Amino acid sequence: MTLTAGPDGRSSIPIESLKRKKDHFERGEDRRSLEDPRAELLELEDKGELVVQKIDHEALTLPTKYGRPKRIQKAHLWHHKSCGQCGHIPGYSTSIFWVMRQLGYDYHDPRDQTSCTAWNYYASATSNSAAQAAVAVRNFAAARETGYFPLIHCGTSYGHYKEVREELIRHPELRAEVRRIMGKLGKELVLPEEIVHYSEWFHAMRGEIAAKQVRDFTGIKVTVHPACHYYKLVEGDAIYDPDIYGGQRTAVVTGLAQALGADVRTYSTWFDCCGFGFRHILVQRDFTRSFATLRKIEVMKEEADPDVVLTHDTGCVTTLDKSQFAAKAHDRNVGLAVMSEAQFAALAMGAHPYKVCQLHWHSADYRPLLEKMGIDWEKAWAEFQADLKRLENGEKRYLDWDDVDN
Amino acid sequence: MTATDVQSQLAGAPAPADAHYKLPDVAGYPDVPFEEKARLFEEITNDLRFSDYLYGCYECGICVAVCPSARFYDFSPRRIAQAAAREDVELIYQQMQEDIWECSQCFSCLRCPRGNNPGGIITIMREVAVNNGLASAKEALAGYSRIIYKIMSTGTQVSPDMLQPDAFPDWGPETGDVSANLDLWRRALPPETMHTTTTGWAVADSTLIELYLIWLHTGALDMISDVDASLHAILTELMEERLEDEGIEI
Amino acid sequence: MSSQTVAVIGGGPGGLRAAHAITEIGGQVVLIEQREFLGGTPIAENYAGLTPSGEPAEPQIRAMIEAVTAHPAADVRLSSQVTALAGEPGAFTLTVAGADGDQTIECGSIVIATGFGHFDPGRETQMYGYYEYPDVITLPDLEAMLKTHTVVRPSNGEPPERICFIQCVGSRDRHIGNEYCSKVCCGVASKEAIEIRQLLPGSKVYIFYIDMRMYGYWENEIYWPAQEKHRVQYVKGMITEVLAKGDRLLVRGEDTTMGRPMELLMDLVVLSVGMEPSAGTRQMAGVLGVAQNRFGFIDAVGGPLDTVSTSRKGIFACGAALGPADLEDTVSSAAAAAMKAFGCVRANATATAG
Repeated sequence: MTLTAGPDGRSSIPIESLKRKKDHFERGEDRRSLEDPRAELLELEDKGELVVQKIDHEALTLPTKYGRPKRIQKAHLWHHKSCGQCGHIPGYSTSIFWVMRQLGYDYHDPRDQTSCTAWNYYASATSNSAAQAAVAVRNFAAARETGYFPLIHCGTSYGHYKEVREELIRHPELRAEVRRIMGKLGKELVLPEEIVHYSEWFHAMRGEIAAKQVRDFTGIKVTVHPACHYYKLVEGDAIYDPDIYGGQRTAVVTGLAQALGADVRTYSTWFDCCGFGFRHILVQRDFTRSFATLRKIEVMKEEADPDVVLTHDTGCVTTLDKSQFAAKAHDRNVGLAVMSEAQFAALAMGAHPYKVCQLHWHSADYRPLLEKMGIDWEKAWAEFQADLKRLENGEKRYLDWDDVDN
Repeated sequence: MTATDVQSQLAGAPAPADAHYKLPDVAGYPDVPFEEKARLFEEITNDLRFSDYLYGCYECGICVAVCPSARFYDFSPRRIAQAAAREDVELIYQQMQEDIWECSQCFSCLRCPRGNNPGGIITIMREVAVNNGLASAKEALAGYSRIIYKIMSTGTQVSPDMLQPDAFPDWGPETGDVSANLDLWRRALPPETMHTTTTGWAVADSTLIELYLIWLHTGALDMISDVDASLHAILTELMEERLEDEGIEI
Repeated sequence: MSSQTVAVIGGGPGGLRAAHAITEIGGQVVLIEQREFLGGTPIAENYAGLTPSGEPAEPQIRAMIEAVTAHPAADVRLSSQVTALAGEPGAFTLTVAGADGDQTIECGSIVIATGFGHFDPGRETQMYGYYEYPDVITLPDLEAMLKTHTVVRPSNGEPPERICFIQCVGSRDRHIGNEYCSKVCCGVASKEAIEIRQLLPGSKVYIFYIDMRMYGYWENEIYWPAQEKHRVQYVKGMITEVLAKGDRLLVRGEDTTMGRPMELLMDLVVLSVGMEPSAGTRQMAGVLGVAQNRFGFIDAVGGPLDTVSTSRKGIFACGAALGPADLEDTVSSAAAAAMKAFGCVRANATATAG
């Protein structure tokens, strides 16, 4: 029998053995680790209930919250855009496309795509589960028709589509109803093998992204805000990595920022929502402003003193960015650059802050961050203005990828 | 309960309304008969998702601790789950008129150890409130109709031209810059689908037709007929005309 | 060794009690333990005191070990694992892998006393950061500290001023699949809270709970003294997140009696981890071919009046191999299993003689 006995016959305080015990978390099996929506979809496909779009290109495998391996297709992706990103933060979507182009992966940017309509649904409830499922399935069917595999830009679309998938798996009557509606559209009930968020693609590709890094981010202090609809809503699909936060928090965004050499710092309201609220951001903004500044921005500034907060969802970027202006008038401790990790990665790879990252659409001051990154933002702005002149004087109707890559 | 109340109950007279519940003139919304409240509750429990959203409640408070709305309002996801679990149709009616629009729909409360989904219960309660034209739904959606119009008619909810400084004065002067330069700045975006100003991106006409068919066939469009009759009429006309042009009959 | 022998698998409190009971009533027993020592979880995890009495655990368990090892009718096999079972009730043959290779053991009946494992808080539904923060520990981690009569913050070696226990970690959770109450954690946490208050009289100790479950005499022996004499603070409301704030830990929950969210700073957070079937219990269920319940514990098939019979005749189980159990439950069911197992070999002997 082994007991560590100290000199007075007592055993010594077991701090070292306690620390060793916590070195590495290895997930054991439990009910949730056995859940596999992918297998359930394939089973339903076998029964002729629906059609599953398969991953058919090279894919990377990442661990999810409960240990199920998730495959992320690298190329030939169908970009399910976000209405909030395209509408109000266009540098977000543009950076996602730009990074993918820089890495040399082909993609499809469809016109045959609607919004998931979930922002409106969570805001106003002016829809129902059949309509929401039909909107999702219509988009998935459209993706399958092109042969490109869906990659979802918005955290809420991603979360809502996982909800829809769960409802469709669980309720045969909903499947029947959606099949009926799809029949009117001449489409089938299609779901992809995996529902993939763009931040998972960025996480999977963080090595390739870092390999093309041209700006040094050492000393850039970063806080991360994880999006509720990414990792709380049907949480089993979210990426967790035992080497990031001991496997206790989602690894996306943080993993990429670390791979780019940034100094990722934590803070005590990490798990808090941003305060978006869906309807609140539009019609009850006092709540959104207060929550975003008091529970997120001010806490980050006080505890972590970051140069930038990175997040991975439309609503979170909007809320954290747009809520600071009014708070400044009340002398609150705000003034923190906000962007998606896609824009951050693009900047690391040498993207133009205005032509690609479109930071002029952002409200919180990002210029000190650019300076710290070694970017001359005045020069960059002048370059962008020169491009705009070319549009104004009719030299070109639109800027295109050739304009930003040169 | 006062002695008089007890006496009246003993005498077989109908019990007075529970003092806990507000009178209609105080509450700001009409009281309805118990049977109507029970019917609304039945509409909630008949939703196919309801049985996945409510099991039992420990009163552990985890849902409240993570709830952003609980920090700013007199709002508690635990009370929502409790009222539904107790089938307290009076309280549920009150919550449908007062509480449900405060929820942020962030779904932080999904970590409930019992597997409840208070945010999901609220989604269903809101749907029922909209579907039945409850006062709270009318109030919550007042000022919101242009968003519903945008999403239902264009398939993208947020369009660049919504960024008007008078609509978002609290978002800072950059909003004004965006709206002043909107067309030019949109044309400067490299992705070809994003040169739009009235929609988030360019949605194909055939895609819109399919979306309209979804709204019409699932009854989603008709849900708003009670809360916003004029919006409902405008959208119905728009969609039906468009489908007619395509030779599609509903 | 023969069909007159009872084999007991597992040398913790349950297995020791069962083995001892068989010798007490004149039987032959072989006790098979996979570790190189006897005493089970209380010894392996350095338990300080027994619940509810608080008496030092090690001397008490040692006395149990002595009672078995000193008895001529008890054959103890350490570092041994059962790998196969053949035969039938009254004439079982166990294959046991040990230091000297495979051996066979003939026995008439079997008692499974393979116990439980502590829930790994890395799998918890709430965000407790056990693998992130040194000052988040578990009940058994604290037991090991209490055994040294010293409680410190692992991060800096300083005594904590504010300590909290979070109950029901890994128990009563539909997501995890452990829908049961682990039974002992309320009592153990309260006992440990008392010990901390005695060691560190200047400290403030909180227990955050859903329900406090200390049945029978545990109420007056632990719960009341903890509240009334040792001023342990009981708060009805669960903690959902533990995050660092400065060099302390911020715990976040709802004070449900007040109906408002609460946030408190702590120096040390103790997770009251529940019970799960041990790896040995899961393995033995497979090797011996006895049914498990949906939580992985050995299924007791006899209903409320027979707590120890398994799905296979001649094989019995006791203690925490059957489900969450405190030491009082464990030794009681161990004696019941011993009696059944002994009765089984006696009946067989009588039948053979007849």
